Amino acid sequence: MVDQNLSVPKYWRKIPQYYRLTAVKCRKCGRVYFPPRAACECGSREFDEYELPRRGKLIEYTVLRSVTSDFEKQRPLAFGIADLGGVRVFGQLVDCPNPDKLSEGAEVEVVFRRVKEDSDYGIIYYGFKLRPVKGCW
Amino acid sequence: MRNSALGYINGFAITPPGRYYDKGYRELFAEVALKALEAAGNPDIKAIYVASALSELTGEQLAIGNVLRDYAGLRNIPSIRIENGDGSGGFAIMTALNHLASAGNGCMLVVGVDKPHEVISLKQNKYASYLLDSDYEAYFGATPVALAAIMAKQYMRSYEYKYEDLATWAIKMHERGAKNPYAYFKRAAKLKDVLDSELVADPLRLYDVSPFVDGAAALVLCSKPNPNDLAIGVVNYGFGASNSYFASRNDYTVLSSVVEAAKAVGPLEGFNGVVSVHDTYSIFGVLALEALGLCKRGSALRLLNEGYFDQGGRVMVNLDGGLKAVGNSMGASGVYQMVGVVMQLRGDKPFNGLNAESAMVEDMVGVDQESVVFTLRVVK
Repeated sequence: MVDQNLSVPKYWRKIPQYYRLTAVKCRKCGRVYFPPRAACECGSREFDEYELPRRGKLIEYTVLRSVTSDFEKQRPLAFGIADLGGVRVFGQLVDCPNPDKLSEGAEVEVVFRRVKEDSDYGIIYYGFKLRPVKGCW
Repeated sequence: MRNSALGYINGFAITPPGRYYDKGYRELFAEVALKALEAAGNPDIKAIYVASALSELTGEQLAIGNVLRDYAGLRNIPSIRIENGDGSGGFAIMTALNHLASAGNGCMLVVGVDKPHEVISLKQNKYASYLLDSDYEAYFGATPVALAAIMAKQYMRSYEYKYEDLATWAIKMHERGAKNPYAYFKRAAKLKDVLDSELVADPLRLYDVSPFVDGAAALVLCSKPNPNDLAIGVVNYGFGASNSYFASRNDYTVLSSVVEAAKAVGPLEGFNGVVSVHDTYSIFGVLALEALGLCKRGSALRLLNEGYFDQGGRVMVNLDGGLKAVGNSMGASGVYQMVGVVMQLRGDKPFNGLNAESAMVEDMVGVDQESVVFTLRVVK
């Protein structure tokens, strides 16, 4: 049997968040949480699902050169924090060969991409990434 | 004064941090546990607290307590393994102090032990990524250093520092490590070495990152001090937590969990003595000094460069070289920190002549997840 390193159900149950950025919005105070939470800071435990906007602004970024074993072939990895309608999200920055050209406040859009694969025989994992709208080269 | 401490450190031992391909968890554990017990006069022990972050990941061992106890010949003493990432050590000490308080008397053995060098660096990075939110951060390839880099960028921009200012952390820690026989890095570093080192996550370079080391450190915590030795007591501790999802924190230039833990300990502004901060990355050492209230926000890097935190000052920081020079032994790191300040308070070599009477230890989990801050004092 091929040793499976990553878990299928652990990935599968997070598909709404990985594919569509499904957050939760508190019914009582309107606060939005991504990732979703079971209880709001106002004390309420009642939420509605809420999809985050697909465009926002870059708050900060870095380029990671020392990666983990799952991302060896994708080295280096650019990461950013984006403000999507008032909710801050962490993700990989893509289509950005020259991150030095990025700046604080740059417009980014959410795109759907391959994240990693479980060796040659396991499943392929997908998820959202952040793409600078005006590019960075 | 004698009853003012939560517990007394009656015995301690550390293994020089390194890459122990010839020793496993049990060998490292036994080495320090038996030495610490002997130093404390072999008292009866009520419980063994084992701080380890990686025992199942690199040691492929769950329920590690019995394996360790049996190898060291410690019979019929319950063992409790504490896992809280690279903050396991501090949390094990906190738990042992609580046990001591509920028992009312007796002694506890606390041993931090971890072996990151059972696996290659790509795997070490993967296990380090487990310190973050597995579903929403590590899933996308993030590791703690990537988030630390974002904090460093924001801090340097907010307070108008250059990278050369931050490089001082590594230079000072290497300088201290060069004088410490228990350091992993015993070689001084020049600014050029730091600037020429490879980028890990910009702006952080290799010299900003504490090296993974295998290591073990042990403490014997007792309700009463050893009458034949200098009494060093843990006077107080405080706990604090921050948001688990990094992006959701509004301010990336502060370690909120440390601020909360320091508040819980009590006012620290007038503190003078030795301090040990958990500098997994240079920026965390700098930010910890501000979060502990030892200086104003934005000023730590300037004060560090001016020599304010050097030996001979009012607040002496990481005299052992910190995690930067001693190494990051993950679950054991907090116990190494505690042993480091105990040696400094005692004036043991190479820390003789300090005449410090108070100490503070800050141990943090991951990237500002949770923190515990201890204050210690020589009790006369």
